[in-house]
Amino acid sequence: MKKSLIMMLIGCVLLTTVMFFSSCEKDITVDLPTQEQKYVVEGYIENGLPAYVLLSKTADYFAPVDSVSLKNYMVKDATVIISDGTITDTLMMADPTIGYFYFSTNIIGQTGKTYSLKILTSDNKTITAETHMLPAVPLDSVWFKIQEGKDSLGFVWAHLTDPDTLGNCYRWFAKRLGKDKSFIPPPGSVFDDRFINGKEFNFAFNRGQVPNSNAEDDNNDEAGFFKAGDTIEVKFCTITKESYKFWRQAESQSTGSGGPFGSTAEIPTNINGGIGIFEAFNPTFYTVIAKKPD
Amino acid sequence: MHRNLIAIVFLLLSVTTYAQEKPTRYTLSGYVKDASSGEALIGANVYLKETMKGVQTNTYGFYSFTVDAGDSVTLMSSFIGYNDFAKRLLPNKDYRINIDLVNKYIETKEVVITGKKEDQNVSQPQMGKVQLDIEQIKSLPAFMGEVDVLKTIQLLPGVQSAGEGNTGFYVRGGGPDQNLILLDEAVVYNASHLFGFFSVFNSDAINNVTLIKGGMPANYGGRLASVLDISLKEGNNKEFKAEGGLGPIASRLTLQGPIQKDKSSFIISGRRTFIDLFQRPPFVKKGSNAANNTYFFYDLNTKINYHISDRDRIFLSGYFGRDVFNFKSADTGFRFRIPWGNATTSLRWNHLFSDKLFVNTSLIYSDYKFSFGAKQESMQLNIFSGVRDFNAKTDFTWFPVITHNVKFGINYIYHRFTPTSVEARQDSTEFDLGGVNHQYAHEGAVYINDEWTVSDKFSVSPGLRYSMFDFVGPFTRYVKNGDFETIDSVHYGTNEKVAFYHGIEPRISAKYSITQNASFKASFTQNYQYVHLASFTSVTLPTDVWVPSNDRVKPQDGKMYAAGYFQNFKDNMFETSVEVYYKTMKHQIEYRDGSQPDDDVKNNTDNNFVFGKGWSYGAEFFIKKAKGKLNGWIGYTLAYTNRKFPDIKNGKTFPAKYDRRHDISVVLTYNMNKKWTFGLTWVYATGNATTLPVSRYFMFGPLDLQGIVYNGLPNMTSGQIYDVYGDRNSYRMAPYHRLDISATYNRPKRKRFESSWNFSVYNVYNRMNPYFIYFNNEVDSKTGTYTIQAKQVSLFPVIPSITYNFKF
Repeated sequence: MKKSLIMMLIGCVLLTTVMFFSSCEKDITVDLPTQEQKYVVEGYIENGLPAYVLLSKTADYFAPVDSVSLKNYMVKDATVIISDGTITDTLMMADPTIGYFYFSTNIIGQTGKTYSLKILTSDNKTITAETHMLPAVPLDSVWFKIQEGKDSLGFVWAHLTDPDTLGNCYRWFAKRLGKDKSFIPPPGSVFDDRFINGKEFNFAFNRGQVPNSNAEDDNNDEAGFFKAGDTIEVKFCTITKESYKFWRQAESQSTGSGGPFGSTAEIPTNINGGIGIFEAFNPTFYTVIAKKPD
Repeated sequence: MHRNLIAIVFLLLSVTTYAQEKPTRYTLSGYVKDASSGEALIGANVYLKETMKGVQTNTYGFYSFTVDAGDSVTLMSSFIGYNDFAKRLLPNKDYRINIDLVNKYIETKEVVITGKKEDQNVSQPQMGKVQLDIEQIKSLPAFMGEVDVLKTIQLLPGVQSAGEGNTGFYVRGGGPDQNLILLDEAVVYNASHLFGFFSVFNSDAINNVTLIKGGMPANYGGRLASVLDISLKEGNNKEFKAEGGLGPIASRLTLQGPIQKDKSSFIISGRRTFIDLFQRPPFVKKGSNAANNTYFFYDLNTKINYHISDRDRIFLSGYFGRDVFNFKSADTGFRFRIPWGNATTSLRWNHLFSDKLFVNTSLIYSDYKFSFGAKQESMQLNIFSGVRDFNAKTDFTWFPVITHNVKFGINYIYHRFTPTSVEARQDSTEFDLGGVNHQYAHEGAVYINDEWTVSDKFSVSPGLRYSMFDFVGPFTRYVKNGDFETIDSVHYGTNEKVAFYHGIEPRISAKYSITQNASFKASFTQNYQYVHLASFTSVTLPTDVWVPSNDRVKPQDGKMYAAGYFQNFKDNMFETSVEVYYKTMKHQIEYRDGSQPDDDVKNNTDNNFVFGKGWSYGAEFFIKKAKGKLNGWIGYTLAYTNRKFPDIKNGKTFPAKYDRRHDISVVLTYNMNKKWTFGLTWVYATGNATTLPVSRYFMFGPLDLQGIVYNGLPNMTSGQIYDVYGDRNSYRMAPYHRLDISATYNRPKRKRFESSWNFSVYNVYNRMNPYFIYFNNEVDSKTGTYTIQAKQVSLFPVIPSITYNFKF
């Protein structure tokens, strides 16, 4: 949240400037050069759960995208191998009816293990990556608090004691039972302990939403808020430095897309021979029932 | 080699001085002033009619030159917009002649761009120097009614606008931080209000604006690209005057008058925006968004001067300006306040050692501050940054003989930089953000410059400047590993040396007259710049931070070679010129790709920099009609500006963000009669270089696994789109062009009271100029079809404005 405050500085300045002069915009045609396709890797290993990998390719910027063409960007004919140092497993392609991804039946996430990924593609490219499962740092407590001036809307707060060693990185997800299909990261979901090393403090997150959400409560006054009556599950993960850097830049790109103020930097990847992220993460879970104060 | 250079210059000076010194010469000296207000006239010509030889007045309106004893001569003086002065005299002794020139506006109301009869542009060895007439600036179209000198200079060839409505400017491929902006000698570190849309210079308080875009004389230094030297009015020493105005953005009031007639005078000039005054009850509801979000800026210029004697004068001038932005979200309770601005003070003492030796000593204070204070619930955040300078300098102007005009001097600046400093706390927890830290440096320079008229045809102006920069502790260097993580820190104690840089900066410009009306000029300039502006964005914002040269950041090193041909036609009615330049810039800085503002926190800002070089070249064509009812100019610039950084796109050469191939300006004013003056400007510029994405991909993030069973299909439409970017600045936006017009109605003077109405229309044909491009993704969740559309955002449509001005 602290980070998002700093980011808001530039954001607000610009937004207000643009609003102040009521900007005008129009559709234009842009000619972009055709690029060589790159492999995009998403490999995740969560503590206690099997490893899985989604593999796709980049698309030309203006290439048409619908559910059919999107499926065609998914790579289904690669050999995906993950090793945890002891076990080496070739991942299976999941049944297309449940989605295009490779999953392992033998590699189950475990604290302290180092995982290596190797992908051999049908066009004879080799993609590799490595990651490590760090011990989970739990939250001390989690609660819901109504925002000042609001009747039933508020944020989820938590108290964290950061360990004394520098370099801890975290990612926050939340899910409203019965309302959200999956855990959703809010904007600014990742943070590190550069400024908070060894300290204890409270912080809050607002409610994230799935991309392109057309849900009613993502488009009215309730957007970004949790509401009294919600049962909220929080998934607080300890992540690697590489994951932190990846998601930090990725989120910065998706929020500040375009404009003289958006970032045009590549998202830093830990994938050799491709882009994306291969990460092990260690979550702890919390359930909060959002209530109005008595 | 450097030592030899100095020796040669001194030798030349002394030889020519003594060789030509004869006892049968007398000195003519004095001040040139406006007859009605007593304001110094800077850059006025003073010369002998018989020989057409003479000098220009310096920043204080002082002139001095020698004449041979003999027959009587006619001393002439002329200046932009003033009637000529002539006086017969017999050179049989030294003369002190103070000249009062009478303003033409008072008599005829005819605006003249430059009334100079001489061919200054052709005859001076100085290249790339432009002096603007503030009265003419006022008759040109004004954006939202605010007359702005920084916008007017952008209409000159070789000077480019930083962007739509922006006061930032680029000179010959140099960045906005490479311009030395001086207000009564004080450096103005951020010359903009309202995020760059207006400049801090209130035109009512300005006496003179001089821009040097090439061939910088040795008395200036510390920046690579240009000098913009702005002098404030001294205040009318004859009678009390008030003037002011009301425009859509701000209102202005200036008071000036004698404290002791002809001896001392004052001026005070203020300006403030007033929209926020209506953003409170009863105009808007308390607690509403309009009342919660307010914005205003103001500035205040003051100056007093005192003539102690014929030989001594003292000036004290000050500037204070602030922008304040308040925001409060009724929704989240998040609120912030951002004040920023400059304060400068200059105390100057003019002293005449003799009729031939003029000296000015100045003590200058200059301060730029930015701060941001935010609060939400129990969380508090404060951000600070800024620069503060104490500056002392002594500048001598020596007129040994009419063929030499020697300037020499010494300058010392004590800098205190405040790089981005952040403090944050929540309840009792203080976050470890490094706190407020200052950085200290000593900057010094000595220089000598001679303008030497070798013969009727040839003149040369050699100069030498030696500059040094000493960065001292207390200072903490955060040592980073390859992942930019802090692995160590090195602490330097108070006054402990962190880095020391110095260098010799030779400058030379020369002129060869082909005929009376045509000349060829060439120049070479070497500059070192010890301070750098770090900007996250492509526009100049108050958040940009000044960073000193230190153990990691080397001084910027610029070399410029320029040549030009100048010719005037029809008795100097038309002035034309062609100038070409080639410039190299070493040790340029950029933020590393992917750096984010919080990377500057608890860190040395420069740890996020990458370093590289730049070079630019171009040609500037200029034609100006300087006389008649219709006057103005057309400028065209063809320019190339490139950069190469080993750490950006693997060292591939890329165009700088201010690389503009073509740049055209047309500026016209038409003085129809005493009542009406019309103005027109038209600009065209090649589109800005920008970086656009070239391909994209979807990512879904960690899936929601429940045991081994996957809980729900990976919903294709729930993927987030990410972009792969193309080469830096490889895309060109559409060209920028815009027409502005204005009409000024001068109401006939009644008793003492004068008033005028200025009607301006900005962007007459409503051109939607690109400000930035973004891509809009829309998804139809039913069919799962994405549509992507490029959108071009423009800032300003056609904007009319009316300004009312009065004077009494």
